Amino acid sequence: MYGGRFARSLVSDFSAMLPTKNKKQMRPSFFHHLHPPTTPAAQARWRYTLGAGGTAFFLMLIIGVTGILEMFYYIPNSQEAALSVQMITYHVPFGGLIRNLHYWAAQLLLIVTAVHLVRVVFTAAYSRLRRFNYLLGLALFILIILLDFTGYILRWDEGVCWPLITGTNLLKTIPLMGNYLYSIAVGGGEACSSALIRFYTWHIFGLVLPVVVLSIWHAFRVRRDGGIAVPPPDLRTDHSRISRDELVRREVLAILMIGILLILLASFIPAPIAPAMMGKPGLRVEARAPWFFLWVQQMLKWGDPFIFGVAIPLGLFAVLAFIPYIFPQPAESDIGRWLPASNRPAQIVVSVLALIILALTGLSLLPA
Amino acid sequence: MSDLSRNGFLKLVRGGFLWLSAALGLGGLLRFLNYDPNPAPQSEFDLGPATNFPLGTRTGIADGQFVLIHDELGLRAINTTCTHLGCQTAPGPDGFTCPCHGSHFDLRGDVLQGPAAKALNVPSVELNDGGHLILHD
Repeated sequence: MYGGRFARSLVSDFSAMLPTKNKKQMRPSFFHHLHPPTTPAAQARWRYTLGAGGTAFFLMLIIGVTGILEMFYYIPNSQEAALSVQMITYHVPFGGLIRNLHYWAAQLLLIVTAVHLVRVVFTAAYSRLRRFNYLLGLALFILIILLDFTGYILRWDEGVCWPLITGTNLLKTIPLMGNYLYSIAVGGGEACSSALIRFYTWHIFGLVLPVVVLSIWHAFRVRRDGGIAVPPPDLRTDHSRISRDELVRREVLAILMIGILLILLASFIPAPIAPAMMGKPGLRVEARAPWFFLWVQQMLKWGDPFIFGVAIPLGLFAVLAFIPYIFPQPAESDIGRWLPASNRPAQIVVSVLALIILALTGLSLLPA
Repeated sequence: MSDLSRNGFLKLVRGGFLWLSAALGLGGLLRFLNYDPNPAPQSEFDLGPATNFPLGTRTGIADGQFVLIHDELGLRAINTTCTHLGCQTAPGPDGFTCPCHGSHFDLRGDVLQGPAAKALNVPSVELNDGGHLILHD
């Protein structure tokens, strides 16, 4: 008797979540929260959003699933880490594919989040009530950079020792709290012998947890702030809208395209792998930072590690964070289209910063 | 008498306790994370009999962490860890070069070219009663 009632109510609870013809009876789910019944057509175009935010979410999903799969084999101790990476790559069925997908999705995520940031500034989409969400996005960007760096270190092969030593020694150069930050990040001792378990925990938990919370919050706020950024109705020239089904159709199309790109990358360009780290690698190994930190490595050749390795990179993020607060607010009619005149200062600042970073990266790749 | 009402007082106490517990919790967390489980790094190295290092020799010690140089200037050890950000410098014929950011040091450890601002550390080397060289980092 009771069992039957229980089963029936369980079934009805689940079926309530499935799409039905009678949509009026449904309570809005988180999916519906993220997909309003209609969206302004002009702002739902690829060439407006570049699909960057949605792509970032999809990539995070891929990274999460492949990362969990890697955890079934990865051994976080100094002696076995690189060997377990080799085992995943060369012995475990589909292990190489899983690892390559994890690697390529992570590299693409960095690029896509950077593109997303530039898009938001170049379309003045950060203005007014959205500026808090802009800060959430910036925090996510920083966390993703740290996740990329810690993941790179987890390879624990001879290529990662110098970047690990310089990266963690940069913490020590911070006045007053430097040594404290170092021991919290590394756990004391020599980075190349003792940091692995800390980086592992930061990578799979300490950084992922805030990323998950902030990502959900970030997506929730987009809708809370009125959906995708558009001018108020009386200032719009284009009033056409697309339906929820059309939005989902476009998302599925994007997922398919990114999925194909990822599988092609993962199948043909393997993630870097090198012999296991055995103490300090000495002179055998070229000391090159991971690609997203080459610009910092280049600046560090110029002098004081605190100024060039900590203060300037952090200052750059501070400038980005202050954009919605110190620059003139874009005109309401300018929101939701590319390169409006009213937020020219922000566009110029972000372009200059991006060009400097690209130039420094290029400089670091030149032979000495 | 103060203007603090009973309600206001309770609010203040509640807020105070919440902030206090947050501060205590954070302090405890930081102390927890700050523990160093590693043994102190070795600071004394027995290099063996001094006769093993005749004039004109250069010997790497402890995986190249130090180089013992015996030349016209005398016998001395140099810590090859770069003073800029801690990479291990590579000994060459006329000095040491850092692979990370390109600092150059001469054979005494002095800076020839930045970004390093300080000379390489020179640990002391002494002869013990048994005729062994002992390096103190």
